[in-house]
Amino acid sequence: MLISLNWLKEYVDVPAEVNTLANRLTLAGNEVERIVEQDVDFEGVVVAEVQALRPLPGSTKNQLATVTTGPAVTEVVTGAWNLKVGDRVPYALPGSRLKDRRIDTKTFLGVQSAGMLCSAIELGLGEDAAGIMILDPSAPLGMDLRTLYPRDTILELEIKSNRPDLLCHLGIAREVGAIFNLPLREPGLPKVRTSAAPELVRIDAPDGCRRFNGRLLTGVTVAASPAWMQARLRAAGVRPISNIVDITNYVMLESGQPMHAFDYRRLKDGRIVVRRARDGEEIAGLDGKTRRLTSSDMVVADTERAQGIAGIIGGADSAVQPGTTDIFLEAATWEPRSIRRTARLLGLRTEASSRFEKGLSPELSLPAVQRAAALVAELAGGTATKSTDVYPGPLQPITIEVDADRIDRVLGVTVELGEAASILGRLGFTVERKDRRLRARPPVFRLDCSIPEDLVEEVGRIYGYDRVPSTLPGARTPVRDLYVRAEVDETAREVLAGHQLDEALTSSLVSGSGTLAIAMPMATPSPVAIKNPMAENRDALRRSLLPGLLEALAFNARQDQGGAHLFELGSVFWKADANTVEQPQVLALAAHVPAGGADAAAAEVRSLQATLATMRDRFALPVTDFKQAEFPSLNPGRFAGFHPGRTGEILDGGESIGIVGEVHPEVVSQLGLPGRAVVAEVLFDRFSAAGRRTPEARPLPRFPGVRRDLTVVIQGKIAGRDLLQVIRQLGGYTLREIYMVSEYQGPPMGAGARSLSFRLQYQADDRTLTNEEVSALQQGIIDGLKARFGAEVRS
Amino acid sequence: MKQNVVGELEQLRASARERVDAAGDQKALEDLRVGLLGKKGELTGVLRQLGSLPAAERAAAGAAANQLKEDIFGWIAERQGALEAKRHTALSDTEWVDMTFVPNPVRRGHLHPLTLILREVKAIFSRLGYEVALGPEVEDEFHNFEALNIPAEHPARDTMDSFYVDADSLLLRTHTSPVQIRYMQSHKPPIRIIAPGAVYRRDATDPSHGSQFYQFEGLVVDHDIRLSDLKGTIEYFARSLFGPDRRIRIVGDHFPFTEPSIGAAVSCGLCGGAGCRSCKAGWLEILGAGMVHPQVLRNGGIDPDHYAGFAFGAGLDRLAMLKYNVNDIRLFLEPDVRFLRQF
Repeated sequence: MLISLNWLKEYVDVPAEVNTLANRLTLAGNEVERIVEQDVDFEGVVVAEVQALRPLPGSTKNQLATVTTGPAVTEVVTGAWNLKVGDRVPYALPGSRLKDRRIDTKTFLGVQSAGMLCSAIELGLGEDAAGIMILDPSAPLGMDLRTLYPRDTILELEIKSNRPDLLCHLGIAREVGAIFNLPLREPGLPKVRTSAAPELVRIDAPDGCRRFNGRLLTGVTVAASPAWMQARLRAAGVRPISNIVDITNYVMLESGQPMHAFDYRRLKDGRIVVRRARDGEEIAGLDGKTRRLTSSDMVVADTERAQGIAGIIGGADSAVQPGTTDIFLEAATWEPRSIRRTARLLGLRTEASSRFEKGLSPELSLPAVQRAAALVAELAGGTATKSTDVYPGPLQPITIEVDADRIDRVLGVTVELGEAASILGRLGFTVERKDRRLRARPPVFRLDCSIPEDLVEEVGRIYGYDRVPSTLPGARTPVRDLYVRAEVDETAREVLAGHQLDEALTSSLVSGSGTLAIAMPMATPSPVAIKNPMAENRDALRRSLLPGLLEALAFNARQDQGGAHLFELGSVFWKADANTVEQPQVLALAAHVPAGGADAAAAEVRSLQATLATMRDRFALPVTDFKQAEFPSLNPGRFAGFHPGRTGEILDGGESIGIVGEVHPEVVSQLGLPGRAVVAEVLFDRFSAAGRRTPEARPLPRFPGVRRDLTVVIQGKIAGRDLLQVIRQLGGYTLREIYMVSEYQGPPMGAGARSLSFRLQYQADDRTLTNEEVSALQQGIIDGLKARFGAEVRS
Repeated sequence: MKQNVVGELEQLRASARERVDAAGDQKALEDLRVGLLGKKGELTGVLRQLGSLPAAERAAAGAAANQLKEDIFGWIAERQGALEAKRHTALSDTEWVDMTFVPNPVRRGHLHPLTLILREVKAIFSRLGYEVALGPEVEDEFHNFEALNIPAEHPARDTMDSFYVDADSLLLRTHTSPVQIRYMQSHKPPIRIIAPGAVYRRDATDPSHGSQFYQFEGLVVDHDIRLSDLKGTIEYFARSLFGPDRRIRIVGDHFPFTEPSIGAAVSCGLCGGAGCRSCKAGWLEILGAGMVHPQVLRNGGIDPDHYAGFAFGAGLDRLAMLKYNVNDIRLFLEPDVRFLRQF
């Protein structure tokens, strides 16, 4: 909303310092986003009248104007063609200045041109560069243009959506008056006698129109509006068009009520019909565009066809134009939802629609139409003859009560009741004081106040939140919640960052069809679709973090950042049934192995397993374990995207809670990622539910232990887990720890052979173990492994 | 005879000095000390002859001999120091590291900037006794809109254009405020929570907007909660996060679910409040807040006649951008390690 300070001064004494004004308006909730000093900088420009126009010999682009400033008559060459004899125009005299530019007498094609006629943009008085600025015909000849157009300051305000009453100069003037405790000067509304003519307007769609005020004026003369009005409109960002149109815009920018003027003679049967549009009905708007409407759109029509889209834009057919003599002024209150829907569907937001969709008070339209009619009579001649006011459900006044304690209790500061009452009064409330209570009736233009808290807000924001002290809530901390504080995600992040993984976040919105088919096995097979996506490649919710992380690896490799190791902790979305979307928290890891092929990838698999195991050890989960993934022979099914020989499920008490393994090399090359990739994905909710593990100290050993090495060579796909189980079993209670030392495949061993080296720690609590008894245990293990797995064992 | 003793002392002085200065290591020096000053040492030998001198000469010769003894001690100590210094220098010749060369820092994983800012936020509020509450990202319309006084066709829905998912009236939450409702429905006052998480809006993407971004919500409900408590909490939070010298500005604002509503800004750290390109006239807006609307309390199952509350909401992305000098919100969801490794 653009507010002209010159205009504002008509209604209230504006404080001298504009920054103070802007700051206080902002504190009160009306943010001043910008202060613009009008860029008016000229000297020696006066009002002149065009007396004659004739061609400039030898030129097709320019013409020669004879102008007078009263006593003097001169000739000026001009390139503009919007002039006619009798127009009053800004004339830069020889020796005058427009910003840095000196204007002198020049010779064009042998003709002396004294000075220059100016456009609005040359003077900094508007954006119009199309032709010479045409002034109000009553502008006195020879008057300095700076007297006619005093330099203005424009405030750009952001008005909150609940305050459409502030989208006008009177509204802001009232705020200024309330803030600085200054009286408000509202324009008077002269009583004009008209005859009631209910037959002029018929409302066929009362649910879309709360009130309709109309006024017929005959015998008007359409011309330019006076300079002061044009200046104010321009300052508020509206282009002057003609006196009638300008008056409707002026009233809107003064009082907040949008208006429209019809050329009455263009209305079929001289009747207005307010109705829903017919499906497919077309209307040409004032902006020159034709739009097709539906039966949910409101229109203002004559007896034949739509003459305007209600509350949004007028129609071209019945627009006021030069020569129009009879006008019908409309000021209505439209149902906000309907305006909002139509404006959105048409993609057309106007000054009018943006006000109506916020919900205007129906009490604004009658004064608006009275004010406009008075201005028309004054500036365009004409007589108001008939009026109509369709208002079936008048606004019921409400009264809100609040007691002083409540104001103090909500704000946390004591506001004197007298001051609170004064603030509300300045804002237009009718206030009664009774003991420690206030009874306040909101002004008719405010629909946003209904409960005591609304009054508290009005008092608070004008009193000033800067005057409210800063305190903290009393220390009644809900202890209950503090007990369960468990920063499990932070624990996981700590472990993962410690293992040199970088934390990534990827979008939850993915492509439903174009996303890589890879996920932990318990994910639902298809993603949850978005009904109204913004882009095709963002039309579903992710069911796994893995595709996003793999794409991130590829992205980084393209940026010459191969070998990235990433993790992400976030939500995935699984559709459980028609009405339920499961949203588990999931942790995923992804590592790029740019070089080294299969062997390097195998080592990376081990590394991610170790990272996961380290993390698991920080949580109070029961034993988690890895199990070889068993791929169905033909279709990988729920293991799609994974390497059939290098994938394991993560088990929690026998139940699968995740997956770890190498990504199928074909999928990796499909991604355009050089080398290999290893990933893991696990249901993090399981870790959160278990919470962190509390370390439990054991007594240190009192007797020395014995350490033995063991190297086992096995053939084929024997599970290391089974091997360890046998070792543990045969080692008995004195076998305390089994460390994995190394794993090797390759020469000199034959294909399919694998060598595993362990270090075994034997320990007893009550004695020093002898070499003999440890050797006997080792031999037992060796024999057991030979018998069970056909292993070749070296101790 | 007399001539002899004095002459020997003279000779010994010259040769002792020469030999001490020539000693190559501590061992040679120790041997020399014993050879000169020990019980069978050369000086001791000379001293033994003193007894044969006449008493008159004996005193002078004795003094000269003692002087020599002292001098030899001094020379040895001096030589010892020189040898020690030489040993140290010799070590640096064989064992030398260029200490001006800066090695690469130890490689570590880097946490996401939004994780880091959330850590700071959580730490600040946990000092005030707040608990972290979480809610679902796929929400229903009741919790996301209706319970927060945003009925269908409310203008506020224009600014929170939402993604609907393929399930009955479920949508991606447009703010973290629905967690307020869920928490009030499942807990009795006193309540003191923050609720962080991802939110989604159908906004065009640009350097300061994304269709997926991150917020955190705060909610306090208790007897006798006042706007002054909210103001104090915001000041404590903003100064803890941005520095104790920052000024805080509270202005009027409007949200359907708070009444009164306020907005908070912190003075710009770059220009100190004078106004610059990164701020609005010296201020950076950081959060919206207000006293919980009585109807919202009721929707959460709490009686507004007995309880009051305040709520606030801020963009984690925005806080991280301000604090870590990030100029494009899209970087947060673009897992570029060149960005991530800066944190």
